[in-house]
Amino acid sequence: MIQMFHVYKAYPGDPPVLSDINLHVEKGEFIFLTGPSGAGKTTLLKLLFCGEKATKGQILVGGRNIARIRESAIPYLRRNIGVVFQDFKLLPQRTVEDNVAFTLDVLGRPRAEAREKVHRMLKLVGLEHKASSYPLRLSGGEQQRVVIARALVNDPTILLADEPTGNLDPALTVEIMDLLNQVNIRGTTVLVATHDSTLLARYQKRTVRLERGFIVSDEDGVKAARRMAV
Amino acid sequence: MSALAKVSYFWRSATGGLRHSPFVHFIAITTIAIALFAAGLARTAGSALDGLLASLGGEVEVTVYLAPELAEDQVEALRTQLETASGGRAVLVKPEEALERLARELGDLGDALSQLPENPLPPSLELSVAPERRTPELLERLSLQLRALPGVTGVDYGREAVERLTAIARALQFGGLVAFAVVLFATIIIVSATLQLAIYARREEIEIQKLVGATDRFVKAPFLIEGLLQGLLGAAVALGGLWAFGQLVGPTLTSLFSFLLGPTSSEPMVRAGLALELIFAGGLLGLVGSFIAVGRFLRV
Ligand SMILES: Nc1ncnc2c1ncn2[C@@H]1O[C@H](COP(=O)(O)OP(=O)(O)OP(=O)(O)O)[C@@H](O)[C@H]1O
Ligand SMILES: [Mg+2]
Repeated sequence: MIQMFHVYKAYPGDPPVLSDINLHVEKGEFIFLTGPSGAGKTTLLKLLFCGEKATKGQILVGGRNIARIRESAIPYLRRNIGVVFQDFKLLPQRTVEDNVAFTLDVLGRPRAEAREKVHRMLKLVGLEHKASSYPLRLSGGEQQRVVIARALVNDPTILLADEPTGNLDPALTVEIMDLLNQVNIRGTTVLVATHDSTLLARYQKRTVRLERGFIVSDEDGVKAARRMAV
Repeated sequence: MSALAKVSYFWRSATGGLRHSPFVHFIAITTIAIALFAAGLARTAGSALDGLLASLGGEVEVTVYLAPELAEDQVEALRTQLETASGGRAVLVKPEEALERLARELGDLGDALSQLPENPLPPSLELSVAPERRTPELLERLSLQLRALPGVTGVDYGREAVERLTAIARALQFGGLVAFAVVLFATIIIVSATLQLAIYARREEIEIQKLVGATDRFVKAPFLIEGLLQGLLGAAVALGGLWAFGQLVGPTLTSLFSFLLGPTSSEPMVRAGLALELIFAGGLLGLVGSFIAVGRFLRV
């Protein structure tokens, strides 16, 4: 589903943020992307939805080479990828419901059909009672769940979640992780960027570790969990 | 179904834009309205002036004086020759008719004319020229041509009047065109500036739209619709203004013109044709302005 071959990313004037990244993700996999702050996790996810362009190397997403994708094809790539942004990117002047519906508006889905899906999604993240609130009136954790609802409402084949539990208390963290697990079980390929090692230990999934832009380890869940336990 | 949903989304988005920053849009709509109001006024004034010129121009006649000794059939031959040369109608005025006319025009003084031992006026042909040939150049050429004909002693036409009227009409046309071009340019700039602001105000929304998979066209459409709406609203306001203007000033103007032209059919200020023209122009202005803004500021 996702293949990266010798991918580099550098911003002009700075040393590379990502160096020689090689990563293969099968359809239906669940992967943790971890590493210290500034390691390049967000940047790697950005490359996958064409939020940034790789400086060097090839990236295949769903069999499509996005290193050489046409500008006009990007929207159609993004429609298959749900993204939970680390900085949320919610529209403060729109209600929770409208923010979630945004993904469907863009596809030209009829309002009524969209509303039904949106409500189902909000229920799933436990926010159906906040449908007509505005994002700034919500707690950080609630906002985070709105972002998750928006990312999932279009049934994407790939979900990229950047610190999806960063603002949640332990109970909610478990709930959201269970939700992502459910989504994964139903067939969506899930990449979760996190530096929360308790998640790695608890869920025992394949874990790719980044440090200063290099992949320093890529281990299956059991191994990764064992390392966490040491 | 999907297309309908999109249209309704664009509509909500565009009207939302109008509601979101009413002041900016008020400025743009007012500018368009003023420009179109002026254009409409100029249009109406122009057609009134055209009417004036035509009615004055109707009096543009070429008088061709003939040698008195010409026989009747020679005069008739000349008459037909004149008609083919000018494309108009030529009428013979006999010396006694000319004298009678002069006497009538002079009134009391005219009685003195009847005391003359001999009629000093030559016979003449009065030639009315087709409207499209009433330009100073063509009249000049025609008069030269006619002067060269045997039996013609002189040619006379209201040369100065024709030249002056034509010059005025040209100046008005040219000035109007220049003014219109300037106003058009200014209006397009203002429309595109307001849309630049609208795009700036919604940059966050645009960014997110793109991130969740909106195509360029989808992002741009609401702004184009917004520009179109501005233009149409501007045109509506201008039409309202013209109608009100016609109601207020119309009667005075009509009486003024009927003094100059005699009883004319009083034309309404806002004709259906003009309304359509202004609405079309307004929509086009708005669209062009928003196209420019979207092209320059919405690098998506
Ligand atoms: N637009 C940019 N221009 C220049 N440098 C950038 C840009 N975006 C990111 N970087 C740099 O790239 C490096 C990696 O950033 P990135 O956001 O990918 O880290 P991260 O692993 O997601 O960190 P965190 O855990 O704090 O979110 C950082 O050193 C950052 O300064
Ligand atoms: Mg990050």
